Amino acid sequence: MKKVLIYYDQKQHKNSIELLAVARMIYGDDSTGKEGIEDYETYGASFGSIGEEAEGLFDFLIEVGNDSAQHGKRAKVFNHEQGPKTLNHEYGKDHLPVYDALYMTSVLDELQQEYRFDCILFPATHMGRMLAPRLAMRLQTGLVADVTDIRHKDGVMEIVRPAFSGKLMAGILSRTAPLMMSVRQNVFFYEPDSLGETRRINHTPKTVCTGEIRLLEVREKEASKDIRDSDVLISGGGGVMKDFKKLSELASELNALVSASRKTVDNGIAPRSIQVGQSGKTVSPKLYMALGINGSIQHIEGLKNVEYMISVNTNKNAPICSISDIVVEGDAKEFITKLTEKIRKEKQI
Amino acid sequence: MKIICLIKFVPDVENFKYDYERNVLVRENVRMILNPDDACSVALALKVKEQQPGTVIEVVTMAPQSIIPQLEDLLRLNVDRAVLISDKVYVGSDTYVTGRILGRYLSEASFDCILAGTHTLDGDTSHVPSQVAELLGLSQMSNVVEIDEAVFCRERAVVLADEEFTYAKYEITLPAVISLRKDRKYKLPYIRYEDLSRDVKDRIRIIDNEELGFVQEEVGIVGSLTQISSTFVKSMEKKERLIVRNDEEGMNQVYSFLMERGFV
Repeated sequence: MKKVLIYYDQKQHKNSIELLAVARMIYGDDSTGKEGIEDYETYGASFGSIGEEAEGLFDFLIEVGNDSAQHGKRAKVFNHEQGPKTLNHEYGKDHLPVYDALYMTSVLDELQQEYRFDCILFPATHMGRMLAPRLAMRLQTGLVADVTDIRHKDGVMEIVRPAFSGKLMAGILSRTAPLMMSVRQNVFFYEPDSLGETRRINHTPKTVCTGEIRLLEVREKEASKDIRDSDVLISGGGGVMKDFKKLSELASELNALVSASRKTVDNGIAPRSIQVGQSGKTVSPKLYMALGINGSIQHIEGLKNVEYMISVNTNKNAPICSISDIVVEGDAKEFITKLTEKIRKEKQI
Repeated sequence: MKIICLIKFVPDVENFKYDYERNVLVRENVRMILNPDDACSVALALKVKEQQPGTVIEVVTMAPQSIIPQLEDLLRLNVDRAVLISDKVYVGSDTYVTGRILGRYLSEASFDCILAGTHTLDGDTSHVPSQVAELLGLSQMSNVVEIDEAVFCRERAVVLADEEFTYAKYEITLPAVISLRKDRKYKLPYIRYEDLSRDVKDRIRIIDNEELGFVQEEVGIVGSLTQISSTFVKSMEKKERLIVRNDEEGMNQVYSFLMERGFV
């Protein structure tokens, strides 16, 4: 029986749960070219307790709890407007320093020594990307970053990841145990065959946090809506840079969110939080409207399972146009105005 | 205080050409540039040195010796020293091995803070700064977009990290490894005209494996724990597509497309 540990990032439930699909591709799915499937069990490990989201999906959930007497330090946040307040969610949950990678690595190492996992997976989140390399070095094992696919061929597993900002894909062999990977967010989707029974295990760490990193303040980002959650994205690139604000008019008519290409972000026109592509976010909307976007490989790398695509471009041979359902050959700014008007007019009828 | 900037020179991927006929990426003759996130770390160190004149900046990189002219340019920008770790036996090292090689040099070096970049244009694994920190037993923080220069000292740093949904401010006890993420606040200055051809060779130290003393089987391709087995360019699937114009007929077609699929 193989044992798979999945680091459960409390801030990104979905991205943690989707790693169950990766575990299945590694051990339990012969459609990936694997010869014969292996039995495996999944362990989710989180710092603090895990809610209902993961119930029935993992075989085991290891909740790293904390004996506050042992650690004593209660994570506090200093908000300049409201004064100090104790964090009650995400940060410092159960008084754990969930931003101290050195401490967290030692706790994950404790788990590895106790359970001897064959495979350890991390979502490539802010924290996952800091923890995975540390733990790999601690365990003296190889690590593959930002994995986007798993392939089996002739009994050998090849782990696929992008390189050169997504312009090239590389197949990697990992030669050591445990097998370790960080996995690109929103690339895999997990559909459970059926819900099972999840056993919860409480783990009290032996490691004592030395408190070398102290959290002073947390501030939510302004763009609270996540482009990854939207069914429709109106995406703007170099061709609409001068009129980027107009995108939101069309977006509001289609109940959509506005996203952007790297060019607009690098020019300071759009915030990085709405950037689609290799260096931005991977999105899977039902409808993606690419306005004035050329569609470099890095941009297209950020589009996964898009159902319908409409692109507007003065050059009908731009790379994005070859993967579109409808190509509007023309000026994207003009298109925005015309389509917005058309939708408004139709609504009045 | 002494700041070490861990830097990497990477191919300028923006200028890769794509050969559509052969379905390959043309990587030959692409120039090497200082990785943008790492350039931010050097720019920040230079800013600190301006405000705290006693600051010593050392850049450390693992690269072939052909990179020396680029290191010289950094030295002409008021960087004090450059350390080039270079040996034929290191070629092909994965991040685990690279972390160990850099870690061995750094474990003997003196510093108050190590600055690095979070992302790179080439491999972009973000492994090396974390792995170096692990080897040295130090704290590490990624995605840092700002270091408060006013309170940056030998004992501590106050940093702002961009963590996807939130910005978090931390106070970190030094020494530690801080990985920056590209931000417009930190930009490398230009070399002053009178410094353009200044001889700075004596401030470059080249370290090879004789000095670091790895057994050959521990480094390079043979010592790596992961190995590249294939590379390929993602083929795009072509769709049956409809090409329309920005006129009334075009708008009607787009509109009916949206209506038939329930978007309006």
